[in-house]
Amino acid sequence: MSDLRPILLVEDNPRDLELTLAALAKCNLANEIVVVRDGAEALDYLHGRNEYASRDPGDPAVVLLDLKLPKVDGLEVLEQVKLDPDRRRIPVVMLTSSREERDLVRSYELGVNAFVVKPVNFNEFHEAIQDLGMFWAILNEPPPLPRRGS
Amino acid sequence: MTDDLDICAQEPIRIPGSIQPHGCLVVLDPGSGRLLQASANAAAFLGVGEGGWTAGQLAELADLAGATAEEGFRPVRFAGRPFQLAVQTTAQGWILEFEQAEQPGEGPHPRLRRFLDQIDPMAEIGDILQATVREVRALTGFNRVLAYRFDGDGHGTVVAEDGDGQLPSYLELRFPASDIPAQARELYRVNRIRIIPDAGYEPVPIEPAASPIDGLPLDLGGCGLRSVSPVHLEYMRNMGTWSSMSVSLVVDGRLWGLISCHHGLARRIAAPVRAACDFLGRVVSHQIGARERHATAARRIALKRVESGLLVRLARVPNLREGLVANPEPWMELAGAAGAAILFDGEVGTVGLTPPADAIRRLAGWLRADRTAPLFRTDHLSAALPEAAEYADAGSGVVAVSISGLHDDALFWFRPEVVRTVRWAGDRRKAEPGEDGRIHPRHSFEQWKEQLRGRALPWSEAEAESAREFRNAIVDFVLRRAEERAALTEELQRTNRELESFSYSVSHDLRAPFRHIVGYAELLRQKEAGLDEKSLHYITNIVEAALSAGRLVDDLLRFSHLGRASLAMIRIDMNKLVAEVRRAVEHEHPGRAIDWRVGELPAAWGDPSLIRQALLNLIGNAAKYSRGRDPAIIEISGAVEADGTSYRIADNGVGFDMAYVGKLFGVFQRLHRVEEFEGTGIGLALTKRIVDRHGGRIDAQGTLGRGAAFRFTLPKRGKEERVVRS
Repeated sequence: MSDLRPILLVEDNPRDLELTLAALAKCNLANEIVVVRDGAEALDYLHGRNEYASRDPGDPAVVLLDLKLPKVDGLEVLEQVKLDPDRRRIPVVMLTSSREERDLVRSYELGVNAFVVKPVNFNEFHEAIQDLGMFWAILNEPPPLPRRGS
Repeated sequence: MTDDLDICAQEPIRIPGSIQPHGCLVVLDPGSGRLLQASANAAAFLGVGEGGWTAGQLAELADLAGATAEEGFRPVRFAGRPFQLAVQTTAQGWILEFEQAEQPGEGPHPRLRRFLDQIDPMAEIGDILQATVREVRALTGFNRVLAYRFDGDGHGTVVAEDGDGQLPSYLELRFPASDIPAQARELYRVNRIRIIPDAGYEPVPIEPAASPIDGLPLDLGGCGLRSVSPVHLEYMRNMGTWSSMSVSLVVDGRLWGLISCHHGLARRIAAPVRAACDFLGRVVSHQIGARERHATAARRIALKRVESGLLVRLARVPNLREGLVANPEPWMELAGAAGAAILFDGEVGTVGLTPPADAIRRLAGWLRADRTAPLFRTDHLSAALPEAAEYADAGSGVVAVSISGLHDDALFWFRPEVVRTVRWAGDRRKAEPGEDGRIHPRHSFEQWKEQLRGRALPWSEAEAESAREFRNAIVDFVLRRAEERAALTEELQRTNRELESFSYSVSHDLRAPFRHIVGYAELLRQKEAGLDEKSLHYITNIVEAALSAGRLVDDLLRFSHLGRASLAMIRIDMNKLVAEVRRAVEHEHPGRAIDWRVGELPAAWGDPSLIRQALLNLIGNAAKYSRGRDPAIIEISGAVEADGTSYRIADNGVGFDMAYVGKLFGVFQRLHRVEEFEGTGIGLALTKRIVDRHGGRIDAQGTLGRGAAFRFTLPKRGKEERVVRS
């Protein structure tokens, strides 16, 4: 049933969002793609609280996380996920415009699962997103569901 | 400069226990009017009868003492006879000094008035003194009147003289400090006029010797009748002068000089004339003080002007030492020196005539070790620092000021040795103990010449003050520079931080729109199946333009990162690295026939990712600009140089005109049109920056249409560098 876990896409820029969704659509994934627009919303989703209090339980197959986000930025979201014993196994992929080494270093220190610099070339971008979607949604064996709540 | 005659400095000159016989002395108890002490000649001198003092006479004395408050002698009558009387109130009682009354006649006051009217307010000190000795001689009738001036060591020089030829001329002779010992000098300062009417006098004892008030000998320090030291009388007789008078010239509380009068025979000077001479001495002292202050002030103003001019020039230069060395004239003039030096930040800068730099460093070290005062000055450096004798010709005189609390840093002004011949009045080395074990002053006043060596002209107060003030200004300058530097560093750090955050947001925000343009254009192309060729061409150009703008952003960011990134230096196998870069370049140019001629390359010391970038740019350029050659030839060779390793990448492509070689490594400098050869114009600038960061160098050779060759050299491994990356 792992293939039915949703993909959480955290992206504030509407154009990047549209292009990313277009690329993911090409993969013909069965997974639901959940879109949130800032870091605070991403954490709400992951914790099943506020707006997402009544969502179906379970962790996403992967979090595609933009680095620069309003309210709570990508690195903070990553840090909270990776420091949380219940959620640190959720795969997180940083998606970023930046080639800044310090962001890369910080992300790996925090335990990011992959770090992807969004290429300007759309075809490369397309391929990168598709690869990510395929790998994390389909190929990667996800961590076992933690016993939580039920 | 110690002298044998210093022994006479120990003589009890204030308490000789006796007076000269041309007057008499009586000491009364101010409370009771009781007679405490008297000179042995007092009763006879005052006409007291055989039976001794009567109560009425003592009462009369007490009345006179109580009524005579003013300084100096004044005419009185005692027991019906006229006298001159001076009274002092001391801890040992009233001291009354009587002298004979004067003959009636014209007093000296009309003369004095004329003299004072004649003193030119603008005259030189020497001229004033000359007029003064002439006037004193006219007033007193002495055979010879001299004006002495004391120097810093206490030696006196005769600077003015008036005489009738009966006594030898002493003009310009120097008298050693010991001729007037320190305690006598102190008495001269306080008690401004002294007279010895007859050097052959018999001293008159004071009876009883001890004061009934305190049991001590009577202090005659303030008494004109005080008996003088036997040494002094012997000195006078040796000089052939049997009477003398001296008037002190006291300027600003210091004994500046003396008006000294001598006569070949015994000679008494009436009290009013003495008073006139005293008055004259005071007026002249004031004149001298005013002249000296005026001269010092004028010199200070002149030096201050020099200082301000110099400071203005110094304010324009970044380095104090260079600034001073570039302005030798005002710098030396500040202290009227023949040479000047600065020790600053460990470097010595000199102008004019100075000791060698090493000697200046040692002098600075010696000054710092020995002194705490910020200013040191001497006109005889070798007396304090023997090694200075070696450079006496340049630095006998020195003024030094410290300009740092922490280092030896200092400013110096130097004056050369001036060999002076000084004419001493008698050989001052020849005083010897006589048969009685006492020191006898020399018998000969024949001139004795001495050459003074290792001496420079003395520094004036104004010059020392100027050096001190310049030091203060310089210390401000040095401190201000340090503050400015600190502020600049802070400003640079702030700008750097701003730049970093700027490039950080550029890297995020500037790339995104290009990505979007490319993305939407591609989506449009995929969505619309039936686009005509023209529309497809437009879309292709949109994508190309956005991609190229994106590359530009990436290149610029890489370029700006390079200035900040630290290098991870390791030993690089250049053969392997070049092979890898060659594969990458071949991948970029599929289908090209390139004749690679790669030689054996020496290993390099550098940051491998940056060196790879440099090679990629150079080899990529070689492939790009040899496009269309058949075959394109790319030669890569290396060599071990004396100071490092060099690498050469040459091609047979379009080359370039050497006229533009200077523009080759600039950012956004292109020598070809974009449609000929693609690129952002940053590649070579980036390459040069990489080589620069490694401390290496790069150059280019080209011929238009024949090809280009680039050679870069990387330094050998530095000892202080360490391997960061494994």
